[in-house]
Amino acid sequence: MISSTRPGDSALARVLVVARKEIVDIVRDRRSTLLTLMPAIAGPLFLVLILNLVASQTDRARELKLPVAGREHAPALVDFLLRQQVTLVAAPADYEARVRAGDLDVVLDIDPRFAEDVASGKPGTVRLIYDRSRDRARSAIDRTEGLLRAFNREWGRARLLLRGVSPDVANPLNVDARDVATPQSSGSIVLFLVAYYGIFAALIGGMAMALDATAGERERASLEPLLATPARPIELAAGKWLAVAAFDGLVVLLTLIGFHLTLRFAPLPAVGIPFLFGTAELLRFIVVLLPLIALVAAVLLYVGARGRTQKEAQANVSMILTLVAIVPLLPMFLQRKDPAWLSLVPVSGQYALLSRALRGENLPPLDLALSWAVCVTLAVVAVLLFARLLSRESILAGK
Amino acid sequence: MIAVDGLAKAFGKRSEIKAVAGVSFEAAEGEITGLLGPNGAGKTTLLRMLATLMRPDSGTATIDGLDVVRDRHAVRRKIGVLSDARGLYPRLTGRENIRYFGALHGVTGAALDARVEELVAALGIGDIADRRAQGFSQGERMKVAIARALVHDPHTLLLDEPTNGLDIMSTRSLRALLRGLRDQGRCLVFSSHVMQEVTALCDRIVILGHGRVIATGTAAELVERSGAASLEDAFVALLGSGEGLAA
Repeated sequence: MISSTRPGDSALARVLVVARKEIVDIVRDRRSTLLTLMPAIAGPLFLVLILNLVASQTDRARELKLPVAGREHAPALVDFLLRQQVTLVAAPADYEARVRAGDLDVVLDIDPRFAEDVASGKPGTVRLIYDRSRDRARSAIDRTEGLLRAFNREWGRARLLLRGVSPDVANPLNVDARDVATPQSSGSIVLFLVAYYGIFAALIGGMAMALDATAGERERASLEPLLATPARPIELAAGKWLAVAAFDGLVVLLTLIGFHLTLRFAPLPAVGIPFLFGTAELLRFIVVLLPLIALVAAVLLYVGARGRTQKEAQANVSMILTLVAIVPLLPMFLQRKDPAWLSLVPVSGQYALLSRALRGENLPPLDLALSWAVCVTLAVVAVLLFARLLSRESILAGK
Repeated sequence: MIAVDGLAKAFGKRSEIKAVAGVSFEAAEGEITGLLGPNGAGKTTLLRMLATLMRPDSGTATIDGLDVVRDRHAVRRKIGVLSDARGLYPRLTGRENIRYFGALHGVTGAALDARVEELVAALGIGDIADRRAQGFSQGERMKVAIARALVHDPHTLLLDEPTNGLDIMSTRSLRALLRGLRDQGRCLVFSSHVMQEVTALCDRIVILGHGRVIATGTAAELVERSGAASLEDAFVALLGSGEGLAA
């Protein structure tokens, strides 16, 4: 008989044995490992694409190239546009079809009777042809419309002045808009992306593994022999949790390092990103995301263990993850300042903290401590529920 | 030594399915005790209770004097279980599958290495031990599962239909292995719905039907008691009908 007082025979030793086995098991499953690591690689790539898109839009808006039909009918307007650094080109005859096809963003068509109408005191007509449903064209459209309005205003002022009327009479309202969102609107999308992606990585990094270690174990009929070993349900639960959390943490870390390196070294267009993602931000991200990783691993294991087959568990997990992934978007729909309780809700709380870290703010210690407390408490509860599930006889049912 | 006394277990919302309904028997050391019964006789549920995986509704069972409910953690160290569910981890090699369970039983280091080598040799699985379990045949899976159940050198062995799916050669070598374990003075319980398996191997037979013990004794005693010509006839006579027999 084997005595029971050897060094390898303690609860902690068994927890580590389980954790080690689960890690080896998942790493050998190339398909799930690749699938898991894909987001970590795709995230930074996605970021580069978005930044380039933003940059190309900014360029397009800056260098407006405007096809004009009938420029000879309104020399004053043409002069004004040229003064505003607009490059004017002759519009092709089939300009309407080409706008429809997306080859041209916007075309200015000056009415042949423009000069005649203006001379007789009627408003001159210009037509703008565009397709506003094209995101790409929007900045060119807005810029052209803005320029035409400016020309209209300038011309009107001159006429009023000629008649000895102050232009202010016609403009009782003076709108002075000031956008305080971010130095550059383009940057806010990227800010959202990085914070959201950090959370996304934490949510799905451990998914395949958690399902394999629970529903997969049931489906393969290896759970029953495992439960007949001296490893108690809580030890099995803790070991599996440790492995899933470690793997999930690794995925998050790789994703964040990917962002860090991308923002630092990749040849990015000068879009004016309104934040830094340096080493300090990277560390703050990790501090914020650690408790979330612990919680997600525990919840995935609990939900996974409720499924008799991987397929069943996957359906349940997908449903939960879809709901959870919407949480950071909630404040958008609320359309007002976030209520205080929202920062206590896991995922949404982390999102708020990550956004602050990105803006270069220090993390408020109280908020951070609370988010840790909430996540760690819930994680412990989920691990205990998972262990209880493993000690139920019904877990043996169904293959 | 296993002592089972009035063990009962029912399933269903109103406990209407009485899987095991008051079973008593003893399994002595140095003997192979066979649980013989048709499918659905309660063999798997009975073995699961002995393996501490299910709690009996009533009755008691002890293994070497340890209660399977109260002392379940101590019991788990003494028993080796080949349960009805015997899946391996497909991405681990045969050897790693065995070692994992050894480590969970607290066998580590050189002792584990030596024990695994011993089992690999005894079961003749040297050629597959370092291959992933993914591609194992049913017989190979079964042998690794048996090695896994034996890795901590248990004094008591609970085997649920161990010969299921084995070819003749594998069955014969398994029988030889189990006899060897018996001759070392261990206590073996073996369940099967195949009569030939039980007669070929078991020292004592417990015939189960509808969750109850129908008869116990050696093969000769059972034949004699029922007045039948063979154990098969005795089995049918004792069960009261021929229905449900898979043998």
